[in-house]
Amino acid sequence: MYKLALIIIMFLTSQVEAQTETQYETGMQKAFALWQDNKPEEAANLFERIANADNQNWLPSYYAAQVLIYDAFSKLQEPKAMELQLKRAQNFINDATTNSKDNAEVLVLQALLHTAYVASDGAKYGMTLAPKVARIYAQAYKLDPKNPRVVLKQAGWNKGSAEYFGQDIAPFCKEFDKALELFANFKPESKFHPNWGKEEAEAMVKSCKQ
Amino acid sequence: MKLFFAIFITLISLQLSAQTISGIVTDSNNNPIECVNVYLEGTYDGASTIADGTFSFKTNAIRTQLLVASFISFETFTLSADVSTLNNLKIVLRDDVNALDTVVLSAGTFSAGDNSKISALTSLDVVTTASAIGDFVSALQTLPGTTTVSEDGRLFVRGGEAEETQIFIDGIRVFTPYTPTTNNAPTRGRYSPFLFDGITFSTGGYSAEYGQALSSVLLLNTINDPDQEKTDISIMSVGVAIGNTQKWERSAFSVNTSYINLAPYLAIYKDRNDWKKPFETFSGEAVYRYKTKKGRLKLYSAFDNSNFQLTQEDINIPEGVGFKLNNSNLYFNGSYTTKLENRWKLASGFSYTYAKNKINIDANAIDDTENSIHTKIKLHKSFSNRFKLNFGAEYFSTHFNEAFNNENISSLDYGFKNNITAAFTEADVIFSRKLALKAGFRAEYSALFKETNVSPRLSLAYKTGDKSQMSLAYGDFYQNPNSSILKFEQNLRAQQTQHYILNYQYNNDGKIFRAETYLKNYSNLIKYDTEFTSFDTNYNNTGSGYAKGLDLFYRDNSSIKNVDYWVSYSFLDTARDYRNFTNKAQPSFANKHNLSVVGKYFITDWKSQVGFSYAHASGRTYTNPNQSGFLNSKTKSFNNLSLNWAYLLSPQKILYFSVNNVLGFKNINGSQYANTPGANNNFARRALKPAADQFFFVGFFWTISENGTDNQLDNL
Repeated sequence: MYKLALIIIMFLTSQVEAQTETQYETGMQKAFALWQDNKPEEAANLFERIANADNQNWLPSYYAAQVLIYDAFSKLQEPKAMELQLKRAQNFINDATTNSKDNAEVLVLQALLHTAYVASDGAKYGMTLAPKVARIYAQAYKLDPKNPRVVLKQAGWNKGSAEYFGQDIAPFCKEFDKALELFANFKPESKFHPNWGKEEAEAMVKSCKQ
Repeated sequence: MKLFFAIFITLISLQLSAQTISGIVTDSNNNPIECVNVYLEGTYDGASTIADGTFSFKTNAIRTQLLVASFISFETFTLSADVSTLNNLKIVLRDDVNALDTVVLSAGTFSAGDNSKISALTSLDVVTTASAIGDFVSALQTLPGTTTVSEDGRLFVRGGEAEETQIFIDGIRVFTPYTPTTNNAPTRGRYSPFLFDGITFSTGGYSAEYGQALSSVLLLNTINDPDQEKTDISIMSVGVAIGNTQKWERSAFSVNTSYINLAPYLAIYKDRNDWKKPFETFSGEAVYRYKTKKGRLKLYSAFDNSNFQLTQEDINIPEGVGFKLNNSNLYFNGSYTTKLENRWKLASGFSYTYAKNKINIDANAIDDTENSIHTKIKLHKSFSNRFKLNFGAEYFSTHFNEAFNNENISSLDYGFKNNITAAFTEADVIFSRKLALKAGFRAEYSALFKETNVSPRLSLAYKTGDKSQMSLAYGDFYQNPNSSILKFEQNLRAQQTQHYILNYQYNNDGKIFRAETYLKNYSNLIKYDTEFTSFDTNYNNTGSGYAKGLDLFYRDNSSIKNVDYWVSYSFLDTARDYRNFTNKAQPSFANKHNLSVVGKYFITDWKSQVGFSYAHASGRTYTNPNQSGFLNSKTKSFNNLSLNWAYLLSPQKILYFSVNNVLGFKNINGSQYANTPGANNNFARRALKPAADQFFFVGFFWTISENGTDNQLDNL
């Protein structure tokens, strides 16, 4: 009798656990699908809900921030809407940082968030945020020099400023080659860990050769 | 066994019997909101609202759950209820008053900060304005409400004298903000603009936190965290400067030193002064910042020494007046802010100023010494986003001493102690995104006059449309007389003004229009009965005056790509009867019309920013003894066009040129007349001209840092 009760309880709890596991997975997959369907706000909302339920996990907050930051780049001409959205994204970055300190992936997002401000109004934000972006990439590189996204995004940023000042961009092209190499050997920790950027690195390498 | 199956099945079915949660989300005007995130806290269950504001989702959660509905720029809604009751909900989201488009108390205030909600100027503007050459005070003179007094250089606001504007760094008073200068060249602010990341310039009706200022306050906030370690080197046509910043985990330390000497410049471009020893100054400043868990400590100190000697022209003394000055100034400012429990915040600070002037005017030697302190403590409680309370207390103490020596008379030693204790309290009430109120009062006790003054302050803002708002402000302001009076007479009272301000503001993506009209009543102004103040003079508090006018401001940085410009116009009608005036008259520092236009153009291909600024000021009054009456004549109007060009050689090297008064307008600031009439019973006249009509500046600025992107553009 006692044994049976134990088995039932174990069965039930394992089922509940399995269910949350799948809930997390289906949730994440659904959110990525929404993002792909070009429904960024709904995707961000779903990532936010997952972050809320699974509040020790940095990934849902990371993606909620990423969706909003990428979308903000399409709103560069509407400064108010962009700023509201980036403020929300900043909250998600803060949540992700709380759950995972000194994470190079999160730092890359933080740098991209500042970059969106600079892109929208260089005169207003460039002088204050540009040095911050450079510093954040330097910090991320120190933490994880083998991370392909750190190498890619840092090189992209530096290439942009070099082009602006009419300086040689060759050293950054080498960095893109290096990023591509790192992408080839990169294995994400899980299927939901960040694994983006390879196509961008390929495109950069290509544009360097032209 | 049966029982167990029963429990088992119930459990399973409970787990699977999903409940539907549904409803609609609207704003307070009943408009549906799309994409609101609605979910049960701690579960995966939720949905986004669709275009008509409705949502619906299934959940397996049972019993009491917390339903959350959140959307940017609205306050998050929560409801704790049994899951079975959560259907056909009607959720109304309240405006988040912290959102960007909330009404702002703007009457009287220009915020120039990267963080302020509506900034008329950003801190970068302050240092890239053509006429300013890196002086923040000069940049602020392109804003409405200021009067161009080109030989003085200080801030004259809305018919007020320069001393009626007080300057604060991190909320703590600066007693001697300006560098010494000759009487025909403008002074500059003592502090380098790149120390600050927020500047608020209030031309009236300011908060109860600030006192001892009749007209205006200028609030400067120092940078919290420098971005990186770096070394800055500046080589300029007037001197050199070097700075270094070091950073650690929680703290940062910066030092700057500079040496300015006008001798080489004056050797090439002679000015009108007969220099014996051209202007020379050495200055150094250091800032230390430490971040605690919930707060921040900042220590700032600055020292400078300036000296010069010249012979000043004077119509009554053909050989001129010998003038020699040596000024030493030490300033220390410490502030500590921290968050406390339950949304309380504490801000406290302390400043100490030591200023010593050794002045020789012909055979007279005047040595004066000022020791001043200011200490302040302020508590802030945020009861909610919509109701905030501030209160605090502060203490000012100034000890001033002057020694007068002349071979023919025995030396004189005199001075005063001016100690003031003050307390203030103020409440911020945000009724909605459309209506906000700030009300408070300030009480001051002057130990010198044994007098207490209470001054109410009030300001109100109402949003009239999506992009426009109206504000009103009222306040009483008190200020003790300055040292030129107090050193001879202390049996007086504080001077007083009342401000009434009405403001309209329109703000549309990069275009700002502001119109502000005001009335200021002055009372208890100091009057005296001699030409110059001395011990023999009789003083009283019976002076009075008024100032009224209209300030207009328009800025547009979005209509033309890479072009940014602003236009300011001020109309001022003012008269006062104070000092030794024979009747109520428009004082010589005030004029009727001031116009300022500033433009900047960024040329991407040239990696350059070019800029211009143009100032026009109508004539100022002076007394012509050849005609009857007091302050009976006016100078011709003042004009100045300045150009600048900043060229980025590389991300870290900048070349900078500027020319002041490119067109060489021959401006005249006033007139001096002979004391005694000459032939034809006519008083001879001398025009008061600036030391130089034009000024050129060339500088090379180089920043050395680890990652090579920082530069000194914000230093110019």
